[in-house]
Amino acid sequence: MSIKIEDLTVVFKNKVTAINHINLEIPKGILGLLGENGAGKTTLMRVLTTILEPSDGTVSFEGMSYNSGNYAEIQGKIGYLPQEIELYPSLTVQECLEYMGDLSCIPKRTCKERIQYYLERTNLLEQRKKKMKQLSGGMKRRVGLVQALLNEPEFLVIDEPTTGLDPEERIRIRNLLVEFSENRTVLFSTHVVEDLIATCNQIAVMKKGEFLYSGSIGELLEQARGHVWLCKAVDEKTARELEKNYHVSSKQYVNGSLQIRLISKMMPPMECKPCEATLEDAYIYITNFSA
Amino acid sequence: MASEIKISLPLYKVFYAVFFVVVLSIIRGVTYTNEIGIALEPPMAMLAAVFCADTYTQEITSNRSEIQRLYPMVKRVRSILERLAVQGIFLLLLAATGYGLFFAFQAPQAFFYQAGGAKAEIQEFLLYLAAIIVTIGFFGTLSNTLAAFFSNVWIGIGISLGIWIVSNSSIGDKYFGSWNLFSYTFRDVENGSNLCWIYGKVICICAVAVMLAVLPKILRGCRGSAGGKKEGQKDEY
Repeated sequence: MSIKIEDLTVVFKNKVTAINHINLEIPKGILGLLGENGAGKTTLMRVLTTILEPSDGTVSFEGMSYNSGNYAEIQGKIGYLPQEIELYPSLTVQECLEYMGDLSCIPKRTCKERIQYYLERTNLLEQRKKKMKQLSGGMKRRVGLVQALLNEPEFLVIDEPTTGLDPEERIRIRNLLVEFSENRTVLFSTHVVEDLIATCNQIAVMKKGEFLYSGSIGELLEQARGHVWLCKAVDEKTARELEKNYHVSSKQYVNGSLQIRLISKMMPPMECKPCEATLEDAYIYITNFSA
Repeated sequence: MASEIKISLPLYKVFYAVFFVVVLSIIRGVTYTNEIGIALEPPMAMLAAVFCADTYTQEITSNRSEIQRLYPMVKRVRSILERLAVQGIFLLLLAATGYGLFFAFQAPQAFFYQAGGAKAEIQEFLLYLAAIIVTIGFFGTLSNTLAAFFSNVWIGIGISLGIWIVSNSSIGDKYFGSWNLFSYTFRDVENGSNLCWIYGKVICICAVAVMLAVLPKILRGCRGSAGGKKEGQKDEY
């Protein structure tokens, strides 16, 4: 066990409960964090990176409790990529990373070596002399990820690192994260389900400040097994009717007829057959049918 | 330090600051050379307040403060001090240039020539430089400190403007006299040997020292507020 969260609660001044008495153990490896917008993921990540102090409950990192006496030591072991960040627009990629490396007390030579390595791994080497403001959204995101990796943190917290990346770059980043997670803890929040399947051993699903599920992806898929159905709709009207009454995870035209994939505890009263659950199906199942 | 220069002196800021001083040296009329300092000090103070207000808040608006929080406090404070120093030096050079521009555009009469000639002019300029260093340092630090404290650049500028208005007025002169922040501006210009205005500058220096001392506390934010907002924190859950 690496990070332990016990009875954690965050209530904002406007009385909104962002996190409601959650418990979680984050083991070594990559833990995927999935949840709808406003579920409390960002708040949880802010607590784990010491940006936000919880209203109640405790967090410990390798047995070290999150308190003012330990913050400096804990902060030195954390790497963080927030969901939205604008790195220094007037600096070049190289200057920006060297500057941030200097601020996090990485020796100059080591910092340059790491920048070279991670820029190569994120396919940004050719962009190193470009100013940050000249980069595309996906490139900026990758530079953001490099800055989070720069101090080789024991605990990496990344909020939607693959946003704006093309498929090839996403695969590159996923592979990098998997390699990086060896003997480290990575908390990976994303809405891209494929990224979680490709990288995570464990997953946690949040809704309204609580965990609906935490465990392996396999177990989550198992929970949804038998509740995913493939139906054929004769026309668009029937399809719309189905969408009203069921949680539809996808629909597409196959050989002229509309094929609908839906999640239901009971078999819908029409021609349909059970099918294998994907992580997306399982997510919809757990967020809508979980007790 | 090279990175701090690029971060704290973007082209648009350099442009508006230079434009401001050039326009000021053209439109603000002076008759005698000893009026140049008076003409420049209050506007330069306001320029410093606007110029330096985003020294730290740019980290908040860009969300970089969330990453900065993980860095050692010494490094964070050092970077802010370096940025303030870079901006202060730039504004000081601009203030010195502005002094020269008044000569170039308005050719004021040399008030001190009868008494001390060129030597007195140089002495007057050096006194102006001493005063303007402190004024720029004070208003730059003030607006940055307030903006960082309230996590809002406009509050930093607004409160600084309020202090500027009070101290750069007859009320400020009447109640604070030589201890006024703008004591140099309100000094007796016809009596160059009267250096009582230095008291006001000492107040400025002391205030800067206090503001810099509380900077780490401000950067640390309001930890322990049971879920209260910290620097840059938005209403995202």
